[in-house]
Amino acid sequence: MSIRDAGLLSRSRILAVVTSRPFLTFAIVALVWIVASFVSRGFGAYGHLRYLVELAAVIGLVAAGQTFVVIAGGIDLSVAAIVTVAAVGLPLFAIDADPTGLTPILAVLAMTTAIGLVNGLGVALLRVHPMIMTLAMATFLQGLLIIIAGGSAVTASNPLVTWVGNARPFGVPAGILVWVVVSVVVLVVMHATPFGARLFAMGAGPLAAKLSGVPIARTTMAVYGISGFMAGLAGILVLGMNGQGYVGIGDPYLLASIAAVVLGGTSILGGLGTYAGSIPGAILLVTITALITVVNASPGWRSILFGTLILALLLLSGREAARR
Amino acid sequence: MASPAPILAARGVSKAFFGNPVLRDVSIALMPGRVHALLGENGAGKSTLINLLSGALRPDSGAIEIDGKAVSRHSPADARRAGIAVVQQELSLTASLSIAENIGLGAYPRRFGLVDYPALAARAKAACDLVGLNEPLSTPVGELSLGRRQMVEIAKALYRKPRVLILDEPTSSLSSTETRILTALLEKLRGEGIAILYISHRLDEVMQLCQHVTVLKDGACTADRALEGVNAAGLVRLMVGRDPGDLFPRWDSTRMDRTAVAVRKLSAGLMRDVDLDVRAGEVVGIGGLVGQGQEDLLLGLYGAIPAKVASATIHGVSGLPGNVPEANERGLAYVPADRKREGLHLIHPIVTNLMLPSFARMPALKLRSRAKERETAMGLALQFAIKGDLGRAAQALSGGNQQKVALAKWMPLNPSVLLLNDPTRGVDVETKREIYAMLRGFAAAGKAVVLLSSDTPELVHLCDRVAVVRDGRIVTLLERGELSEEAIVAAAMGAERERQAA
Repeated sequence: MSIRDAGLLSRSRILAVVTSRPFLTFAIVALVWIVASFVSRGFGAYGHLRYLVELAAVIGLVAAGQTFVVIAGGIDLSVAAIVTVAAVGLPLFAIDADPTGLTPILAVLAMTTAIGLVNGLGVALLRVHPMIMTLAMATFLQGLLIIIAGGSAVTASNPLVTWVGNARPFGVPAGILVWVVVSVVVLVVMHATPFGARLFAMGAGPLAAKLSGVPIARTTMAVYGISGFMAGLAGILVLGMNGQGYVGIGDPYLLASIAAVVLGGTSILGGLGTYAGSIPGAILLVTITALITVVNASPGWRSILFGTLILALLLLSGREAARR
Repeated sequence: MASPAPILAARGVSKAFFGNPVLRDVSIALMPGRVHALLGENGAGKSTLINLLSGALRPDSGAIEIDGKAVSRHSPADARRAGIAVVQQELSLTASLSIAENIGLGAYPRRFGLVDYPALAARAKAACDLVGLNEPLSTPVGELSLGRRQMVEIAKALYRKPRVLILDEPTSSLSSTETRILTALLEKLRGEGIAILYISHRLDEVMQLCQHVTVLKDGACTADRALEGVNAAGLVRLMVGRDPGDLFPRWDSTRMDRTAVAVRKLSAGLMRDVDLDVRAGEVVGIGGLVGQGQEDLLLGLYGAIPAKVASATIHGVSGLPGNVPEANERGLAYVPADRKREGLHLIHPIVTNLMLPSFARMPALKLRSRAKERETAMGLALQFAIKGDLGRAAQALSGGNQQKVALAKWMPLNPSVLLLNDPTRGVDVETKREIYAMLRGFAAAGKAVVLLSSDTPELVHLCDRVAVVRDGRIVTLLERGELSEEAIVAAAMGAERERQAA
């Protein structure tokens, strides 16, 4: 290969990165931050931006599971309910014998993963449509929560949970650190393992994937299990940050997780996308919410503004090309 | 040129996509009452020419003429109004709608602003009768076999009472009976003064049916002449640009004593009580009319659909695989007929398509090595002569190259039994030859090959034995010595041996 060719190749590679959806979403976030910091005093302060990313971590964790599910050709509408289950359920697992608070966390994560696996079981073996299966699961969990928690808020007394929600080792909130670690693992699993490759194949063409030997049932269950695990992790983080858990605490994260996935360029039809896009997608969502809060508007108008902005952003960053 | 003006013509049209010329200065004239063949390998520019004629694309230079007059704007709607109907290779039917609804789609007769269903039924019935479709008109198209769907597609074109009928590989999924009905129909339409453009990879059909031929090679016209006095070998030479030699490789028996697959009383899908033995090193053909259950036989062996057997042995291990991963584990590989939906992931890069069966077998969380994958894929591309940038999406490949990818992706697993479902459907002549050579090569390497095919010459020239399926049963097992196209077709049709031979 001549030097000229090598130059062309690296230039085309740079062009591919710059025009990729994850990069564009990052660019939009940066642009919004810069403009907003000129317009609104205090928006661009380091502390405020750090706070935004900390808030984005919760959405980012839920969106991690959602990205897996969407790429594999499904959708998980039970994530909000699972976040709430984790946040409200954690105090129920309190064990005095474990002063670190690790046991309840592991128990909650096992429980939410199991909930996800049940979703996967319904989708893979009973052939229930993912929307129906996960929506039914959400409704079931909400009923269960009302019976167990009875509408009263629970207070987090778990030291590890409080630490994750409030500590700042090296000046970085622990929640962001958790998100970074999770992001690295997720990206590796998604793009550098055979498991990840199977997900993309399933999403792009389930029949071709099946005939190529991809174990569809097992993989589907794993995907929803991961989504349950991630939502559980987000629930623990949100409990730590809030100090209290209550029924409905997870509600904002359903639309947010799906919006983050789609804003990041992952195809809602499955088979194409990356978590690298959902990360800036989550930050962008939190930024928009913060901007709307700065504008003094009634809650109704805020909601309308939020929905309009998301639609506008999706139109701007390119709609999905039709595919056969 | 003949005296009457052509109904539809292209004069010196050129077309380029992203700077790549696809058609260069091509002219074609469709005369009333003539069946005009358009030949060329995949990627020669046939589809582009059809799209220009039907108004789906606009030429960069040159003109489209209707009734001798150049048309400045030629949109698909204009083309329909001018009586041009196209039967696409890619079926354009809606699976959930009925036969009648599909046929009338876009041109429903109306009454008081609503669809006039009785009128629709009457007109659709007339179109169906022409093509020999006798299924109830209310049958959802999704329930029909591929071949019957193709007939619906043709009926849909006839429903519009066209003056020009363009058929893009209409017979690639038809059984021989259906092909015969179509041939008779086209003869009749020709007699009524309709201009017909006929694209096919089956040269014998072309020789029998057409009067005039245009051959495209790499976007340029290499022949535009009457078919009289041309032989098949001559046509192939015009398409390929060199002497065709023999399409099929020399047949040598490579059969071994070792039995690869033995099943007794296998029932799966439409298939009932099938006994089948396949030895290592042989190619066993599965023939018969389209949609008699042949595919279910392969899928049943492959563990992809539920199957029952009295006894089954695959490589000395008894029992059928219960699912696809288990089948792969036991050395079985399956190449589907519908490569776009079942064989490949068109939106994914060629590399990942080639690696998918390997990904499915590797430990789930083992780290991938992109360099090694690339190396494997390059090796496969070289071995199978797959032309194209491996990083591009598979949809960028021509049909023939796609088929080679669908076959090549199994090679890293080194399967010992290959189940092939119509591997040369819609594939150009050159690729067909390559695939044929590969199949015999697999057999020579000691693999067992089960070849389901709708192309009878293929079965005759490649197989050690051919099992002919009718109504879900193997009705005849023809040994090498008894193989002939007549024998296969006769067995497929039942007792019509004499009539068939005539």
